[in-house]
Amino acid sequence: MLDDRDTPRGGARRREATDLYATVLEVVKRYHGAARITRVSYGAGMPVDRLRVLVERLVALDLLRSEEIDGRPAYDITPRGQEFLSTYWKMRAFIEVLESNPDGRPARRRAERAPAQ
Amino acid sequence: MAETRLPRNSQTHLGRVDGDLRAEANVRISSDGTVTVTGGARFDGSADIHGNFECQRFRSEDGTVHISGNLTAQENIEARDAILEIDGALKARHVDVDRRLKVGGPAEAEKFDVGGVLEGAQTLSARSVSVGGRFHLGGRLTAETVEAGGGVTLQDVAIDTLEVGGAVQVGGGEVRRSIEVGGRFRAERELAFGSLEVGGLAEFAGPAHGGRIEVGGLLNANRDLAFDTLEIGGVGRIDGNGSGRSAEVGGRFSVAGSLTLTGPLEVGGSITVREALVAERLELGGSLETRRAVLTGPAEIGGAVSTREGFKASRIRLQRKSRARGPLVAERVELERGAHAEDIYGGEIDLEEKADARRIFGARVRLRDGASADEITYTESVDIEPGARVRSPPQKAEQLPTFPL
Repeated sequence: MLDDRDTPRGGARRREATDLYATVLEVVKRYHGAARITRVSYGAGMPVDRLRVLVERLVALDLLRSEEIDGRPAYDITPRGQEFLSTYWKMRAFIEVLESNPDGRPARRRAERAPAQ
Repeated sequence: MAETRLPRNSQTHLGRVDGDLRAEANVRISSDGTVTVTGGARFDGSADIHGNFECQRFRSEDGTVHISGNLTAQENIEARDAILEIDGALKARHVDVDRRLKVGGPAEAEKFDVGGVLEGAQTLSARSVSVGGRFHLGGRLTAETVEAGGGVTLQDVAIDTLEVGGAVQVGGGEVRRSIEVGGRFRAERELAFGSLEVGGLAEFAGPAHGGRIEVGGLLNANRDLAFDTLEIGGVGRIDGNGSGRSAEVGGRFSVAGSLTLTGPLEVGGSITVREALVAERLELGGSLETRRAVLTGPAEIGGAVSTREGFKASRIRLQRKSRARGPLVAERVELERGAHAEDIYGGEIDLEEKADARRIFGARVRLRDGASADEITYTESVDIEPGARVRSPPQKAEQLPTFPL
């Protein structure tokens, strides 16, 4: 996912809310309907209490759905969630190009002046 | 089966352990080279093991288990809410780690399932690799299926399928079946693939050849790109030559070299081919710019076409109000109402109402009411309807000049 470590050409980019939602959706997608909250927290790299808030919001928006497996909730991505991811990645690709200078060097971004996360 | 217990915060020297081994948190184990546990090994917290470690089954919970040598398990390795760091090689049947798995040597298992991060300094061989977060490997990856939710950095690959949610960087190699990337894909060296589907951005730094390519966002190829079918919904660029069976461009597409297709080219957006375009047929709704274009079949032009040396097809139809710059060559050329062309060479040339051309060289030429041309040279017949206009009188010739292309 495009977090601080994976930004193109080493430019720092702060993870924004949409990046976090996309990260969670991508991790959940890998578990094919059996994503446990702790396992998702390791994949998304965020603590469980913070993740629960994001997951609840994603469920409320019908981007994720929850199902009890062995008495514990497991999550799966919905078709709307897939649609969100598809749009998100397309937009990120265009933003990346728009934020690069024509010579290929990354443009100075707002986040580069922001304090480290 | 006998169980050997290591108490919390203990330091122990071990060789062969008959039966199971149970270690409480924060233990240090030294050895003469290898610790062999004939049963299962379980670590209830962090542990530091000096030497190789062999066991039937391996399980750890909470904390970090560090092994300075190799880890070999006849059956499975499980790390629940735990980190596993192995300086040497790893071998097991299944490997399931919740948080992080780091391997310094070669890693081999049927299945790797890691919730957080998988880092390998050397090779990794498996049937399947599934990583919830990030996956970095310094050596060759041999696997059937590879899935990751986050960023993936790989060197040489020999895999069947690769499915990644975030950013993928691959050195080179072969993905025999499919690559699906949600975000960004970059191949540093030569890559062969079955199919490629990228939701965001795909970049090929080296030459690449594959089957079906579908790019929803952006495609950049720094060298030659060979494909079976190419579909670009967004923007595509090939700095070398492009070749394949067919291409469909919904957005913008540019090729610095030539584009050679054995099948059709459909362009709804715009396409620029700096050198030659070769295809079976063309459907152009947007614009095409190239040095020369040669089609073995027909061309339907709904937008604008511009060539320096010419555009040749079996039949060319310029649809209503479309534009052509550069010579057009075809057995039959039709200009619909309001279409505009420069020089036209052909067997049969038909200009409809308000269509306009500069010079026409044809066997049979027809200008309908309201059509116009600067010059007409013909060999068989010319039909100029009332209301059509030719700026110089039509010239009948025994033979037409040599056609371009």
